[in-house]
Amino acid sequence: MAAETQAQSLAANPPKDADDRDPVYLKIRDLVYQACGIYHSEEKIYLLAGACKRRMALSRAKESRQYLDLISSPSTRVLELRELLNEITIGETCLFRSTPQLTALQNVILPELIATRSKIGLRKLRIWSAGCSTGEEPYTLSMFLLEQSEKLLKGWTFEISATDLNDRSIETAKAGVYGTYALRNTTDLYRRKYFMPSDGDKLQVKDEVRSRITFSRLNLSDDTKMLFMKGIDLVFCCNVLIYFDIPSKKRVVQHFFSNLQAPGYFFLGHAESLYQITDQFRLVHLPGTTTYLKAAPGSEGTPRP
Amino acid sequence: MTTTTPANAELRKRVEKLRSLPSSPAVLQPLLDLLRRPPDEIELSQVVQLVSYEKTITAQLLRIANSPLYARARPAESIQSAIFTLGIQRIEDILLSNCFSNLVPRDKWVVDPAVFWRHSFGCALVCREFAERIDYYDPDKAYLAGLLHDLGIIVNSLAYTDEYRTVLAEAFQSGRPLDEQEKQTLGFTHCESGVILGKTWQLPEAICEVIEWHHDIEHAPPTNPLIALVHLGDLLCRLRGLGYGYEEWRAIDLAADPAWPELARHCPKLANIDLARFTLDLDAFVVRITKLVDTIFSPALALTG
Repeated sequence: MAAETQAQSLAANPPKDADDRDPVYLKIRDLVYQACGIYHSEEKIYLLAGACKRRMALSRAKESRQYLDLISSPSTRVLELRELLNEITIGETCLFRSTPQLTALQNVILPELIATRSKIGLRKLRIWSAGCSTGEEPYTLSMFLLEQSEKLLKGWTFEISATDLNDRSIETAKAGVYGTYALRNTTDLYRRKYFMPSDGDKLQVKDEVRSRITFSRLNLSDDTKMLFMKGIDLVFCCNVLIYFDIPSKKRVVQHFFSNLQAPGYFFLGHAESLYQITDQFRLVHLPGTTTYLKAAPGSEGTPRP
Repeated sequence: MTTTTPANAELRKRVEKLRSLPSSPAVLQPLLDLLRRPPDEIELSQVVQLVSYEKTITAQLLRIANSPLYARARPAESIQSAIFTLGIQRIEDILLSNCFSNLVPRDKWVVDPAVFWRHSFGCALVCREFAERIDYYDPDKAYLAGLLHDLGIIVNSLAYTDEYRTVLAEAFQSGRPLDEQEKQTLGFTHCESGVILGKTWQLPEAICEVIEWHHDIEHAPPTNPLIALVHLGDLLCRLRGLGYGYEEWRAIDLAADPAWPELARHCPKLANIDLARFTLDLDAFVVRITKLVDTIFSPALALTG
């Protein structure tokens, strides 16, 4: 009876492709999660299967099981995992990618930061977009905060540090020119207010938006440079740590922790987790999203035993 | 346990009235009995018997089983085939929501019944999953507790219809947790009213305790881990779109909640749960639950008036 029930309940949710129910993808899912900390839930497994199939088309693996071998065997593992991650995160970058993050910032986090910082006489927010790629994230944050400058952030200033390892990404980011695909989540209000026309149907961000951002090249594994990023209120580091091995990830996350002022927040990509990476940050639930908190010392809640 | 205050006596008087309501659901006791048993101990004949309590139920089950949600090759024509298609769990869910729908006249539902059941089924499912992940010994009991924890919302809708409309409107406006808003406007919460009905209906003691204390962990009896479990499951649901139909704008550190150490006392495995990953899995539940509830409550399928 129980087996029948389960089989039937699976039939209740026809997947987009029958292959997605291939149990091999569950193994690949767990492997990717353990190696990179990026997790595909049941409803997202088809995305992972899609990424695997795109990789399979380019490799000698013709079936999912062969592909599992490819990303588990010691000789091919590291390279293939990196390629797969590229496929997984492809097309992930666009402006205003995560609405739940922004609404949570507006309704929960900014009010809290404003309250705690005001108490110590601060009226400036420092935000770090670590691994900013081609600039979508820092520009989104800059526009979003500019929108708040007559409301929540009245009388406040902010500055955004946007860093990436890749020089070419930084150059593209500095130009601030985006096509329709990157702008697919950008509302008319933002388009009108913060962009000007560029080549073809592309749009370029206005100076007002760009002037709040400092772009620079930074290797997150460079311990010396990491020590200089102090007094940060919010760190955004989306789909970057997934490329690090566990020891490097621990080290980088330790830097982020010390760079943040408490209470300060550390945002990861939607499907990323810090499980077993650190206990210093506290996982915090917000409507529709989660984030990691560096709690103020002596604040409510003691670290987990 | 409950002290008698004027508000309390008044509440009791109002709840007494509930007993005289026409449809004290005959199906409820055998249904709860069924819900408390592990799936492999359930006989098909018992379920068929239960389904036959209400003539309208059979028709409804057949229609749900033949809806596009359960893509069947051939239409289900008998109760048995409908039960196989839907699975015991779904049948139980549908029976339960149906028996409450009959209890509450349409114009007395203050919370939209679809929203209420989305929250109740969602919480039930989350509680069971949660229970399984932390090795709580009886996941099915956790399911039942999650399902019934907000019985008081039904009581408040019935006995305090107009005042309760105000409470909901205020909570929508402020984004405050419902129990806080109830306390302020009515002077008591759905926990206090729910447990009176729970006891009248002779629900199991452990379930009554969950109903009574799930918003007041500090005063809850320390012997019943279900209270803490449902408290945490309920919070998770409310931050993942399975709440009362509005967003509560707050950040919740579940591990710093008093329910966390309380639950950990009974289930040591809680300390190692990957909460970020569990939360991502929740998104899959949300999709599943929403589909189920929408099917039960879609206008074409609605039967009771």
